[in-house]
Amino acid sequence: MSSKQFFVNRYTKLGWTYKEVKPKQAIRINTMNSNRDTVVKRLESLGIVLEKIPFLEDGYWISKSKFSVGATAEYLLGLYSIQEVAAQIPVTLFTELEDKMVLDACASPGGKTVQLANLMKNSGVIVALELKQRKMFALANQLERTRVKNTAVYNMDAREASKLNMKFDCVLLDVLCSGNYVTDKVWFSKRTIEDMKRNARQQRQILTEAVKVTKDGGEIVYATCSLEPEENELNIDWAIGALNVEVEEINCHGEKGLTNVFGKELDRSIEKCRRIWPNQTQGFFVCKLRKQV
Amino acid sequence: MTMKAINDFVAQFNASIPLDESHIVRNRNRYYLLSKKLKQQVPKGFFYAGAYLGAVKGASFFPSFLLLSMIAERKANKLVIGKKTAWLFICGRDIFKQGILKGNNLKKGDYTLILNEHNECLGFGKIMHNLREEPDVNKVVVKNILDIGDFLRREKRQSRRQQRSRSLQGSDRKPHKSTHK
Repeated sequence: MSSKQFFVNRYTKLGWTYKEVKPKQAIRINTMNSNRDTVVKRLESLGIVLEKIPFLEDGYWISKSKFSVGATAEYLLGLYSIQEVAAQIPVTLFTELEDKMVLDACASPGGKTVQLANLMKNSGVIVALELKQRKMFALANQLERTRVKNTAVYNMDAREASKLNMKFDCVLLDVLCSGNYVTDKVWFSKRTIEDMKRNARQQRQILTEAVKVTKDGGEIVYATCSLEPEENELNIDWAIGALNVEVEEINCHGEKGLTNVFGKELDRSIEKCRRIWPNQTQGFFVCKLRKQV
Repeated sequence: MTMKAINDFVAQFNASIPLDESHIVRNRNRYYLLSKKLKQQVPKGFFYAGAYLGAVKGASFFPSFLLLSMIAERKANKLVIGKKTAWLFICGRDIFKQGILKGNNLKKGDYTLILNEHNECLGFGKIMHNLREEPDVNKVVVKNILDIGDFLRREKRQSRRQQRSRSLQGSDRKPHKSTHK
């Protein structure tokens, strides 16, 4: 059996029929730097055709553009960011962000860090961690371009976040994962189930550390762009049992989280998570946890 | 040194900005302006924090675009340029007189911020001819020193560096994080 067939069979068992998809490119307007309607008008005057994404306040699909939307003056001035549709969801799930202490535990390339700053209106504090030294400059460039002023970036492993001696109201865990086939043409040929298991172990370590640095009653948003339950529902099921957290109800695009994975029954509250099978977006998983007092 | 380098740079535009020195921190050769909350809350050892102001290399100060925007909000040497000229400027080109929509009495040797029609700062340049005079239309009147297209040029430089280091390291079977996330 080919690697592709192996994964496609797994998706079938999880109740989804595999299909090739090619989601449209999307942008998110940085409303801290400009007015939404003004940016839309300016982009339309350049001949870019935008389509409002119905489930995202500041998100637009690029329906047509003769040139790269990553090379306009408006982009370079930080008026918008190029951000995949599903990737725009996690940050919107926090209840309240203004003036809060926020941790972005796996920050690079920084799209969600900028989105956090945007929703916080540059108030409060964001601590952004990135493990890889080589990604630090790109992250810094992104923050400078979008005029983010409330963020401190550290070259640090999220599994060591408690070394900062800080407690956070909100923690974003956009954890490293195995990705999905939509954004990577050779995904099926390079991934194995062992990758998922290794990633899942690392993700649980990050979850454990995140709970440690979250204030009692604080919120943790966990997200991956993986379709594999080992990195998603199974991790959250483990967290409910091992860590002091509960899954919170969220209202966003996507289907309910799976509560039966390959015959294994999971905690019922996992259906409050959202699983996004590839269609208009890449594959994605997101959930909100609250640290119990 | 911190404030002098920044103030001297700002003064080149006949401007001044009120910066609270106690909130400016240096990390390697880079300077950052921290909010009160950032200063109180975040520990040392950061890579980047608050508003990046610029970097000192040798005797020169290299400003950030945030600093240029801060100067542009105040009274300073400024030139407003047309749409097409703005695009060419972002692409690294110099400015000819006919591309200037609004400008004050700038003289040869002055430094000026370059703004687009929306009054957004695109970078800065050096005046090559007195603007009140009628220079040859084929002559450059503002030499481009720094423009926001630099963000793209930096990305290209960094991506080339990464490709080189990856080709030296080999394998790409690593945990994934898609671009533009």
